[in-house]
Amino acid sequence: MADVLRVENLAKSYAGKAALSGVTLSVASNEYVSLLGPSASGKTVLLRLIAGFEKPDHGSIHFQGTDVVNTPAHERGIGFVFQNFALFPHLTVYDNIAFGLTNRVINPMTDAHHVRDRVMAMIELVGLSGLEGRGVHQISGGQRQRVALARTLVTEPRLVLLDEPLGALDANLRMRMRGELRRIREQLGVTFLHVTGSESEALAMGDRIVVLDNGKIGQFDKPDHVFNRPISPNVARYLNCYNMFEGRLDGSVFVAGPDRFDFSNRMNSGGRPAYAIRQDLITINQSSAYANGETGLKAKYLASEYTGAAFMYFFEAADGHIIEVENHLSHRSAQTLEPGKHYQLAWKISDALVYG
Amino acid sequence: MNSAETASVQSAEIRTKTPFLLIAPGALWMLLFLVTPIAMMVYVSFWTQTTFKIEPILTTKSWEAFFSSDTYLAALWTTLRLWLIVLVSTLIVGYPTALFVGLFVKNKTLSTALLVLCVIPFWTSFLIRVLAWRPMLGKEGAINIILQALHITSEPIEALLFTELSVIIGMTQIYCVFMVGPIAFMLGRIDPNVIEAARDLGASFWRIFRTIIFPLSMPGVIVGAIFVSVMVLGEFATAAALSGRKVNMLGNIIVTQVGSLKWAFAAVVGVILTIVMGAVVAAFLRIVDLKREL
Repeated sequence: MADVLRVENLAKSYAGKAALSGVTLSVASNEYVSLLGPSASGKTVLLRLIAGFEKPDHGSIHFQGTDVVNTPAHERGIGFVFQNFALFPHLTVYDNIAFGLTNRVINPMTDAHHVRDRVMAMIELVGLSGLEGRGVHQISGGQRQRVALARTLVTEPRLVLLDEPLGALDANLRMRMRGELRRIREQLGVTFLHVTGSESEALAMGDRIVVLDNGKIGQFDKPDHVFNRPISPNVARYLNCYNMFEGRLDGSVFVAGPDRFDFSNRMNSGGRPAYAIRQDLITINQSSAYANGETGLKAKYLASEYTGAAFMYFFEAADGHIIEVENHLSHRSAQTLEPGKHYQLAWKISDALVYG
Repeated sequence: MNSAETASVQSAEIRTKTPFLLIAPGALWMLLFLVTPIAMMVYVSFWTQTTFKIEPILTTKSWEAFFSSDTYLAALWTTLRLWLIVLVSTLIVGYPTALFVGLFVKNKTLSTALLVLCVIPFWTSFLIRVLAWRPMLGKEGAINIILQALHITSEPIEALLFTELSVIIGMTQIYCVFMVGPIAFMLGRIDPNVIEAARDLGASFWRIFRTIIFPLSMPGVIVGAIFVSVMVLGEFATAAALSGRKVNMLGNIIVTQVGSLKWAFAAVVGVILTIVMGAVVAAFLRIVDLKREL
């Protein structure tokens, strides 16, 4: 597969503070890449640089084989879908979608019939039929999202950048639009680069996931690899499903304050040593003995939260930091725990990840 | 009736009376100082005017005098002409300024500071601002001195002062800020992402200006145009001070007639001016639905 986008050593800083430094990544054609990062990790900056709204301090951006760093945004042909949709407030749904076709500098369409065919086909594809004459304030949030998407897709860009496109929608709609986005992308065969702050959205949407960590690429891999084997403590943290311990390595034992954990999977990440265990791989026991191949710690039970298909239990370790345990109700039944009482948390040594 | 019921009845009474109490001072003020004077003006315009006194005997003589006099019809035409020219010139000078302040200056504090700068001339009185143009535009004024010093002209340009041109220059400077303010306000409200979206879809700056920025600033243009129109149509001081009384607008006619105690005739001109202003404002409001846009 040819690379649609190749970004090399990209850097950008604002008022001396680096927003991005040394970002290098390649995105293949007909691929859905999600870009996960906490707020201020530089994910929006990266999109704005690729779109051409801002200039990088250094580095190169190759789009379909040519360096576009000095090409103005309106000549790049890279689509951009804004979080707040940024629809043209004075135009109808139809005119919003037709805007790019008739107003672009490169190869504008002048034949009203051709424009109409293209726009109506796109309206059909995104499911807005019958609404083309409405003003953009007369339609719902989900419909506005579709207009924003259609307005970009109708110009047939090879690459579409989506800046938290589902962030302005309510939860129910967000779930539906996830499926819609994937369907529309597959039908058109374009490449999507989708920025999100939600790990579940990133995992669900992307063929591959980029995790941004303080203006650098933390990890770029398939969702299951990122989820099961985050390559650094920060990536594990951003996934929001790992309990992290800081401490030091002592032979084959990880020492975190008063607790000592055995481990078998060590990853050389170079930074400060850290120990990670996924929230749903921990069992809560009344007894104090570990089964063979298990390790763990004693922790004080604080509270629980019912999330429908699962229970989240919150514990406090001896050093005061909070440990979360996720109990999927399809595997295990809900446990009745007494707040303030100490329980033994146990997990398989082979499930834990150790960095350092 | 117990005390709780009494209280609730009282609060209900207060609630129904409150809107009237709130509107009363304003309504009374408008009735006394706007509605009544306008009604009186219309009424007086039909009174009988003799050289030294005016009597409430209804006649259309003053109206006939206005429409049969070339001087007065010329004043009406001058008023309309100056209004249109000043409207266009304030727009030409004001729109780019507003575009810069409202859209190109990204820093909100700086753009507010620039708007305040536009208002600084208002710290001095209106008449001084008008009269200050005399030493600028006069035969031996600043502009002629500079032009001659730079050898651009050999003779002083006399057409600069005491002509219609000087009135237009003066009015444009005085009223421009009323155009800049509302336009800059509307431009400042445009979501920057909307302009970026248009760029991303491939449109050039001029295309974006024509299809997105200008239409979205239209309410500001209309509000500015209404401000400028109402003030220019009622002008007399600038015309008198900068034209050497050669340019007569309807406002100047009213001043002269009131000065010679011709109340009925002044009232006729006043009614005509009011009708013109009403028509102009109504026409502008038809172009843009301000209630929807603001």
